[in-house]
Amino acid sequence: MLRMNQIPSLDLRLSEFMDGEDGWGRDAGRVTCRRLIGFVESNPGILVFRVSLIRVRRVDISFASETVVELARKYRGQKGFCFVDLVDMDQRENWEAAALRAKQPIMMWGSNGKPTIVGLEPGQGTVGALAFALRKTEVRAAEYAAADKSVSITNASTKFKQLWEQGFLLRREAAAESGGLEYVYFLIR
Amino acid sequence: MEETVIRLPARWTDASVLEKTLRTGPSPLSNLCSEVNFQIPKNCQLMTDAAVRFLCLLNQLDYSTRRVTINFEEKKDGVLPYLERIGFFQSLSPGVLVLPHRPSGFAAVRYRGHNPSVVEIQRIYRKQRDDSLPKRLTRAITQACEKRRDVNEIEEAAWTIFAELIDNVFSHSETLLDGFAALQVYPKGNCLKVAVSDSGFGMLETLRPALKKEAPKLAALSDVDLIVEVFKQGLSRHGSGRGCGLKGCADKAVKFGAELDVRLPTARVLLVPGTLGYTPNRAFCYSDLPLIWGTHVCFTFNLTKKF
Repeated sequence: MLRMNQIPSLDLRLSEFMDGEDGWGRDAGRVTCRRLIGFVESNPGILVFRVSLIRVRRVDISFASETVVELARKYRGQKGFCFVDLVDMDQRENWEAAALRAKQPIMMWGSNGKPTIVGLEPGQGTVGALAFALRKTEVRAAEYAAADKSVSITNASTKFKQLWEQGFLLRREAAAESGGLEYVYFLIR
Repeated sequence: MEETVIRLPARWTDASVLEKTLRTGPSPLSNLCSEVNFQIPKNCQLMTDAAVRFLCLLNQLDYSTRRVTINFEEKKDGVLPYLERIGFFQSLSPGVLVLPHRPSGFAAVRYRGHNPSVVEIQRIYRKQRDDSLPKRLTRAITQACEKRRDVNEIEEAAWTIFAELIDNVFSHSETLLDGFAALQVYPKGNCLKVAVSDSGFGMLETLRPALKKEAPKLAALSDVDLIVEVFKQGLSRHGSGRGCGLKGCADKAVKFGAELDVRLPTARVLLVPGTLGYTPNRAFCYSDLPLIWGTHVCFTFNLTKKF
């Protein structure tokens, strides 16, 4: 369902793309991934897919690698994928292992609205910028530089660009107050 | 061309005991051997890991045109009825002669799914994947460990291990012979064995050539060190983005202090976890073993530490 905010997002139930409640093996993962890509491509205006694991009982690491982790990696920088109900700790371990191997972060949003990162953690140089972004819906480099006097606008811009390239954030172009163009970075949620 | 006679010991026989027995004689898969006679004495109790490995060896011998006989010296209360119950004979090549007689297979059908501590040996059909296989293999845990608070954790760990190892059989073993998987919970020993065997080329035989091109330093490692790296950091012939499955298996198994036994065609590595997981200095390696094709992996969970 399309939510009423400025970032077009859509809920995606992984179970609807699987052949059963257990997902295991690379080949089965690739079959599911092809279906997922079909779904993503059939929704070209959607930037964020909120992945629900309801009715997914278990996934092994290979299946996790070939499905949501592969999607996040493939569309990194263009579209984002996040988990909305990853509560099973054993299953989370397997998603974590798969995402780490792909050097891919995937946001997991808890019922309290707080995020946890599954997979790649931000580096020391960008952790502050990500923490700043997580407190807002969207953020510009100038805002971060204004909030942290030790960071220049150029430096802030570099940090956000890194976070975007690594898959922590998405971005879009917007008109800057100066009259030029700037990037607005937003969370995958 | 000659007959080789291999006599299993009259005691509990796990994979280690089976290997020790096989080492005492010539390799049954050697070119000199045309006929192999296995003698199973009274009181020989084959444990799951040994049974699956033994089954692979028997099928490989039959496939390579050896005349193979298994002679059970005890038929009423011994290992034969047990092997019948777990479906051993249903998976055994028809060409293998079983004495005094080959069981009909009715017992396996009768017990299927009703034995609380053992799952029948499950065949891994390479041509047609059975999606429910890992689930069927792990269902015995629910019954056998129902009083444990960590029953779900054990079941999930075993499920992931089966899923990854069975998927590896499909992806890597490259053999016409089927693989096998089995699980058994030993309540008195407080341990759980999770075993998967195939009759392919062996994990390192397919991994080393790829590593020589992409990671020569890793390719130069000994078998022991390379096996440790496969399970510790995850290595794959398909590149650095893959291989995380076996690492994930190891990470889950280490939580239960699981010993890891990896049998390759002529070598075997036994890994005992320490505080840093599986490390080379806690590995026992056996080389120049009698040939058994394939990769045979068994995790033995220690269930005494957690409750």
